[in-house]
Amino acid sequence: MNISNELKVGLTIITAAVIFILGVRYFQDLPLFATTYELTAEFKDAGGLIPGNLVRVHGVSVGSVETVNISQESGKVDVTFHIDRKIIVTEGSYASVSGIDALGAVRMDLYLGPLDAAVIPEGGRIGVGEGNDLFGDLTARAPDMIEKFSEVLNGLDIVVSETGTLLSEPESDFRKTLASVKGSMAQLESLLTSERTRLSSILLNVEDATGSLKTLTAENGPAVSKLITDLSATLTTLDVELESLGEASRSLNELLAKVNSGQGTLGMLVNDPSMYNKMDSTLDGINALLADFKASPGKYLGEMKLVDLF
Amino acid sequence: MKTHSSGFHPSVLILYAKKLILDPIHSFGRYSQLLFRAFGAVPEFGTYRKNLWEQMIHVGIDSMPIVMLAAAFSGAVTTVQTSYQLVSPLIPKSIIGSIVVPSMVLELGAVVTGFILAGRVGARIAAELGTMRVTEQIDAIEAMGLNSIGYLIVPRVIAGIVMFPVLYIAACFVGIGGGMLVGHIGGFVSIGEFVDGAREYFQPFDPIFGMIKCLVFGFIITSVSCFKGYYTRGGAEGVGKATTEAAVASCVFLLLADLVLAATLL
Repeated sequence: MNISNELKVGLTIITAAVIFILGVRYFQDLPLFATTYELTAEFKDAGGLIPGNLVRVHGVSVGSVETVNISQESGKVDVTFHIDRKIIVTEGSYASVSGIDALGAVRMDLYLGPLDAAVIPEGGRIGVGEGNDLFGDLTARAPDMIEKFSEVLNGLDIVVSETGTLLSEPESDFRKTLASVKGSMAQLESLLTSERTRLSSILLNVEDATGSLKTLTAENGPAVSKLITDLSATLTTLDVELESLGEASRSLNELLAKVNSGQGTLGMLVNDPSMYNKMDSTLDGINALLADFKASPGKYLGEMKLVDLF
Repeated sequence: MKTHSSGFHPSVLILYAKKLILDPIHSFGRYSQLLFRAFGAVPEFGTYRKNLWEQMIHVGIDSMPIVMLAAAFSGAVTTVQTSYQLVSPLIPKSIIGSIVVPSMVLELGAVVTGFILAGRVGARIAAELGTMRVTEQIDAIEAMGLNSIGYLIVPRVIAGIVMFPVLYIAACFVGIGGGMLVGHIGGFVSIGEFVDGAREYFQPFDPIFGMIKCLVFGFIITSVSCFKGYYTRGGAEGVGKATTEAAVASCVFLLLADLVLAATLL
């Protein structure tokens, strides 16, 4: 297809125009294709606002400032701005200028009114509010701050002069204290000077002793380590012995418990009184027999042939 | 006449004065006369209609690739150098965007395009018209009863005025895009930060000012080149001289106009 020159030129110019319009809208932060919504706010002080500055709602850019003109009748500044049509601006909404003019980052903040209120029509006017201009706040509070600062400085001045007086008066406590501290320091210093030789000899001795200990340890290293190994082995053996001793005592406990409860021969021996009774009566019998024997031995010995020999 | 003590003849001074003061005024007078006649020929649309489209192709569309290339590089270089100069941690990265975009829109877009057109189109126009003049084709056109100025100069100047803004838009588009892309790829500034910064300081008057510059530059480059070509004298050598002079004079007047416009409109 042969494209005529007219068509080429026409297409190029139209494309350029479209790019131009869209580009300008893009950098103005306006929606590329949707239409925008124009509103006017009347400020007493525009605070450095210029066309092209961003308009924000809750910190989100929604449009930009179109014109900033001084109104001759009202003596105020009329600021016209465009915002995205999706933002619904109702009665009770207000605008404020914020940002720091000195840094060049001035913008307009829009605070939306309640959703159920009437919508402000296209080209309508909205109210203005106090901006959160940090720099402005600082400037407004500066006189107060300077006054306070000067008070603080005055106080400091008094403190400094009082201290000076205290120091310069020969009879002041402060001066006396300083003098006594100075005296103590001098004494301490003289003490240190006079005892310097002894102190240094003590330190030398301590150093010597430490050195000897070190040498001793280093020289007898193997012997010491063997000693420690032996000791450790002995302790291990002792541990084993103690364990078996514990076991023996446990067994003995068990045995005694059995004895107590009357189990086995020993138990019965310990716990049954009948044997004792029998033994007692047997001993009584033996006693009576011995008494009888003592009284009349013949009675018993006469029967014995051996005795007849005598 | 008494000779000057240093052997300097007073008539030489007069010669210099004529060369420095009178000749430029003389040239300006002829230039104004040519323009006057050209403006007079604008209503004769039928004379140059066909030629106009051809010139628009030559001036505008054929220059598009080289203009876009130069603009892309100037945008990219501006981004890289701005980020190189931003060493303070207190300055946000988005400042790069707010420097590159106005630079392109206000100055680089128009001036880079202007220089390229002065070299490319200015030289071409002067060479074309110069050759036509020395080969007496212009006289032939006149002999045929056609208005040579209306036929040759008007379409070229109109093409310059119309197509320069188109080239400027292409240059800005590609330059800002190139800056953004290089900033992003090189890790100097993200596209989001770049656009944020550009929006923060964008003024709607900037592109309008750029367009005004373009109209003026387009007019200067084509009209100066036409003037140099139309009044060529001295055969092939004259054509070469006219071509060089057209490119140089276009650049000089373009810079002058740039300063005057910036001083008066900004």
